[in-house]
Amino acid sequence: MPPFFHDESDPEKSLFFLLLNLNKRGITLDVETPEGARTFTALARRADVVVETFLPGHLARLGLDHAALERVQPALVMTSITPFGQSGPHRDYAGDEIVAYAMSGMMSISGTTDREPLKHGGFQAQYEAGLNGALATLFTLVLRDRTGIGQHVDVSTQEVVTSTLVANQPFYSFAGGVQSRRRPGGAMFGNVMPCRDGYFVSQAGGGATWDEIADFYGRPELKDGRFADADRRIVNGPALDELLLEATKHRTMAEMFRTASEQHRMLFGIVQTPADLAQCAQLETRDFYQEVEHPVIGTMKVPFRLWNMTPTPVTYRRPAPMLGQHNAEVYAEWLGYGDDELTRLRDLGVI
Amino acid sequence: MATLPLEGIRVIDCGYVFAVPYAGGLMADMGAEVIKIEGPGRLDITRDSPFSGVPADNDPGVDPWNRTSNFNQINRGKKSLVLDLSRAEGRDVLRDLIRVSDVFMENFTPRVMRSWGLDYAAMKELKRDIIMVSNTGYGHGEGPYTQYPAQATTQEATHGLAHVTGYRGDIPSKAGQSYVDFLACWACLIGVALALRHRHRTGEGSWIDVGMYQLGCYTVSEYILDWLANGRLGERLGNRHPWYAPQGCYPCAGDDQWCVVSVRSDEEWTALCAVIGPPELARDARFATDAERRAHHDELDARIGRWTAALPKLEVMERLQAAGVPAGAVFDARDVNLNPHFWSRGFLETVEFPAVRRMGKRVIMGRPFRLSKTPLAVRGPAPALGAHNGDVIHGILGYSDRRCEELEQAGILAAQPRTPRTPSPMSMDERVSQGRLAYHDPDFKKRLGIEDA
Repeated sequence: MPPFFHDESDPEKSLFFLLLNLNKRGITLDVETPEGARTFTALARRADVVVETFLPGHLARLGLDHAALERVQPALVMTSITPFGQSGPHRDYAGDEIVAYAMSGMMSISGTTDREPLKHGGFQAQYEAGLNGALATLFTLVLRDRTGIGQHVDVSTQEVVTSTLVANQPFYSFAGGVQSRRRPGGAMFGNVMPCRDGYFVSQAGGGATWDEIADFYGRPELKDGRFADADRRIVNGPALDELLLEATKHRTMAEMFRTASEQHRMLFGIVQTPADLAQCAQLETRDFYQEVEHPVIGTMKVPFRLWNMTPTPVTYRRPAPMLGQHNAEVYAEWLGYGDDELTRLRDLGVI
Repeated sequence: MATLPLEGIRVIDCGYVFAVPYAGGLMADMGAEVIKIEGPGRLDITRDSPFSGVPADNDPGVDPWNRTSNFNQINRGKKSLVLDLSRAEGRDVLRDLIRVSDVFMENFTPRVMRSWGLDYAAMKELKRDIIMVSNTGYGHGEGPYTQYPAQATTQEATHGLAHVTGYRGDIPSKAGQSYVDFLACWACLIGVALALRHRHRTGEGSWIDVGMYQLGCYTVSEYILDWLANGRLGERLGNRHPWYAPQGCYPCAGDDQWCVVSVRSDEEWTALCAVIGPPELARDARFATDAERRAHHDELDARIGRWTAALPKLEVMERLQAAGVPAGAVFDARDVNLNPHFWSRGFLETVEFPAVRRMGKRVIMGRPFRLSKTPLAVRGPAPALGAHNGDVIHGILGYSDRRCEELEQAGILAAQPRTPRTPSPMSMDERVSQGRLAYHDPDFKKRLGIEDA
């Protein structure tokens, strides 16, 4: 899956794979074969956690679901991350990033009312499901630390994305209201607006009063009663848009971000590009990037640290594995297999 | 023996708005005793600001700060303590509470906790193995943005997501609401779980320092890598897929009804053709491969859109899914609340408020994960402001009646907001006419089966 390093479509040059598999060892195993299934069961016997993303029911058909594996490893925590979860009328539906966005409810409030609903760029539902898979697995381990009990953890990507609708779902169950997308005009404030060299976002609230915000834009008319509170700023949105666009068309993102944040204590954002993020001093101070030495790609800096923690910060140990790179090492360490056994499995096409 | 993951764990939740409070609410679901602390002059803004959603039945009642949808969704199952932390006497009470707690969570700007003498080093003096969670816009430390005010909606631009979100050829955009708050919520929870396991093994506490900007940047990692490796800046694709085609959001019968379709292989393309016809479509060489379909995407959009426009969105979804094509109706808040799949999985839960709250039953979201042997559930409604002052002050801290009275008289401890804000009196019809709502269902309670007895 693209993007690839230097656009060379080589499985060892996948940038997603590099990003998502740091610190892991990698083995090959065809679990669809009887010998592969037996080997997988033997590995699971030694494991604390199994994470998988097969369609619901697939591992059960191979005799590798949680019910089967807990017979050999009662303390196993097995986490399944699927588009719609392991149960319910949609469990066998084909899922995909945009399908999760539509069926979660997210798209119904994204974009503008004159056009179709819109999804986020990239693969947000996948990142979100990954975080939830990690947290659900870890709390199950917290419980296992106390009780010794392993169990099956069922994570639904659709429900993960819906979980971000804390302001929309209960609007209905509290008062019957259904929110929609934003209006195409007269709703600029709080949304992305153009300036001289790019785009910015400004929001009321935080430490700044509306008068201070008006001072930042340098337009006394903004202090009119027409714009005094959020309700009136919505009603008088078109006039507000016009004033703001006029006030910012000669200003730059960098100047406005600094002035708004440092002098006016405003909630303010600028649309940064991947290039901006790649050289961001703030991210450097947080040790966000990790220099990785990959046998095929070479040296590359890769996003790594999601947050900071003491006394146990995440630490870098190894790059993403190449296909089957650790077969000998892992099969020896976990199952005691020697060269003969590995050759046999290789000849069978199992590894 | 513990039956829930966090049974016996006491959490002090000083968080405001979405990220940290939601983490606290989910911890309550998992069995923790979560004490939410607000100030008498500084209520969580989900109680009394434009961030509060809507009061139950759009009726502010006599205690509007206890009735708002956002607050009650997020803070389920907690205890409420109202304590003025801006004063030294209030912080002394907090120090006593930390001494008997496991987890402390906050989202003040970095200088606040330090100025109160309550940074992690000080926390450890109070409770050797405390787990502290700090969530801030840019994280602690010495970075150029560290002291900048921040909130998810403005950060969605700064952390790079808006650059790749938006209609094709149009300006950058945001999507959803407060996106990075939820990433931060989950990061805080992961940090707590890791810290609890570390404490279990070593007896040592932890400090989890989450910066929302950093988390948000991670979600555009592939664009950053594509820039570093290939010099590409990423583009706004609207609803199209970067590699597969066709993919999009198509109009269906009715007003503002939509269904998405995503074809990821030649097999799925053939399956789509069999459903939408005509038969020769599948044989048209112009659409034979992903590259060809991408090159002719506008024409494919028009063809698919003509087919979907005549059908209800659920029928489009069901017919395509039956053929193995990824398709999904664009669900709105009504669809989400009435969704049979969610109800069958227990994702939606009905919470009953005590009669004195006059809010009846409400439906809120549970958790997006299920444990096979440990059923989790929302363990109670969100608390009324200050409802557990006595429980905490007498029951947990063992303060005398006299000390308690002194704190109340000094305004350190309270059960009312110091200066209640008047909520917007806007009717549901006005909200619709202003475009803040698409529509409203006056009979929503009947639809949800939560009518007043």
